[in-house]
Amino acid sequence: MIKFDNVTKKFPLGNLALDNISFEIDDNEFLFLVGPSGAGKTTVIKLIIREMLPSAGSIFVDSEDITDKNFRQIEILRRSMGVVFQDFKILPEKNVFENIALALTVTKISNRQIKQEVEQVLSLVGLADKKLMFPLQLSAGELQRVVIARAISGKRNIILADEPTGNLDPKTTWEIMKIFKKLEGKKTILIATHNVDVVNSFKKRVISLKNGRIAKDQRKGGYEI
Amino acid sequence: MSELFKSIRRTPYQSLASLLILFFTLFLSLFFFNLTAFFYGILSYIEAKPQVTVYFQTQTSEKDIFKIRDTVVKSGKTASVKYISKEEALKIYQELNKNNPLLLEMVSADILPASLEISTKKPEHLSEIAEYLKKTAGVDEVEFQKTIVDRLLLVTNVLRKTSMFIFVFLVLISFMVLMTTTAFKIALKKDEIELLRLLGASILDIRKPFLSEGVFFGFCGGTFAWSIFFIIFFYLQPFLNSYLYGIPRLPFYQFSHYNLYVWPPSLYYLALVYFLTIFFGMLIGFLGNYLSTSKYIK
Repeated sequence: MIKFDNVTKKFPLGNLALDNISFEIDDNEFLFLVGPSGAGKTTVIKLIIREMLPSAGSIFVDSEDITDKNFRQIEILRRSMGVVFQDFKILPEKNVFENIALALTVTKISNRQIKQEVEQVLSLVGLADKKLMFPLQLSAGELQRVVIARAISGKRNIILADEPTGNLDPKTTWEIMKIFKKLEGKKTILIATHNVDVVNSFKKRVISLKNGRIAKDQRKGGYEI
Repeated sequence: MSELFKSIRRTPYQSLASLLILFFTLFLSLFFFNLTAFFYGILSYIEAKPQVTVYFQTQTSEKDIFKIRDTVVKSGKTASVKYISKEEALKIYQELNKNNPLLLEMVSADILPASLEISTKKPEHLSEIAEYLKKTAGVDEVEFQKTIVDRLLLVTNVLRKTSMFIFVFLVLISFMVLMTTTAFKIALKKDEIELLRLLGASILDIRKPFLSEGVFFGFCGGTFAWSIFFIIFFYLQPFLNSYLYGIPRLPFYQFSHYNLYVWPPSLYYLALVYFLTIFFGMLIGFLGNYLSTSKYIK
């Protein structure tokens, strides 16, 4: 369970990213975080993975306040989460297999287990035949799948996706969303997006952010611009 | 291991700089280490030799020489006294110059002095006996080893201190070069490090490849330094042989009973030096990269 309790995030230059927001996400829940650019979607994700600290309020993951955790505890927390970064964060000098394996090396499992796990997630995202290719040889959609494969590999039970379909054509967008659909009910999935079609077709919980505040929180919601 | 080689391939010049600085540090340290050990070996060899040698005038009779010998022995301060007659002196001379017939032709037993080789029980008796012999009639020259030993000891001590200074200086330079090259590598891997942190890697996980690289360079630098040093050493052995003619074996400090000999270098000595070289190489490599990663990876 993820819980935001009166969280405010103010950046040093004074701009307010989040303004006293509270919400809860249940285990294995699938939800969308929507809102225009600058609404605070990425900030929410960054706060959950402790890439930044809130200016006020508390954030709980599995009933534990993550705002007062030490480095060691943050490392453990991050190993339980898979993040699909907006800017991919794929290493160009590593091939597809190595990029995904990198996320598993930090979990201290054997090389054999890493190989098995990578093969498994590559099949799930439909890239089994491209494991030895380098990022420069892949299309945007394929790169996005690599990032998703990395995020869902291992025993990560929370998946946070920041604009996973941002620059993709409609066909690829649906292929990507199908991957998330396959994980529904198995992992907690939070997708930050402003893709209206995707959100409306899934009919899942939607939290709408506007100017750092929660504008709407609907159980089977949609996205209105 | 494959990650290590990939990292080296990605930054070949920085890796070469790290390897070379460790090589030079270890090579020069090896040179000074061996030189100091060599001098200590020579020192031990000379100390084990007779400490006072008295040469008699050619006209001094054997009877007079024996009288002097008896007086010295009766003093109770000597450990051993050995008489070398003119004939024995000729034999020694002939043995030493057997390859030079011209020198052999010109010398006969008559022109060589008889001598006494004296070792004392305590070093402080040396000057006392030497002074007595210098004043005795029939004595031509008294060779007093103490001055040679003292001079050699002085040279060895200066060499030891200089070696230590140079070693520390080289290690500091190595640290600086390793820190700079590693900092560069860290900068190149900035994205990977940032990603690893976000994936939950511990600081140790992130530092481990850099530390392994330092240890690897230390091992390689040590192995190259040792190999090249002893290749040069064995290549120059015939040349050194001519200088050290007559010196049979030089022990490595007091460890001759472990079969550790500096000259000619025993297998155990070579193994010990190799172990020490790679140990220090790996230690310097590890510490250099440890300092660098501590500073630049937070």
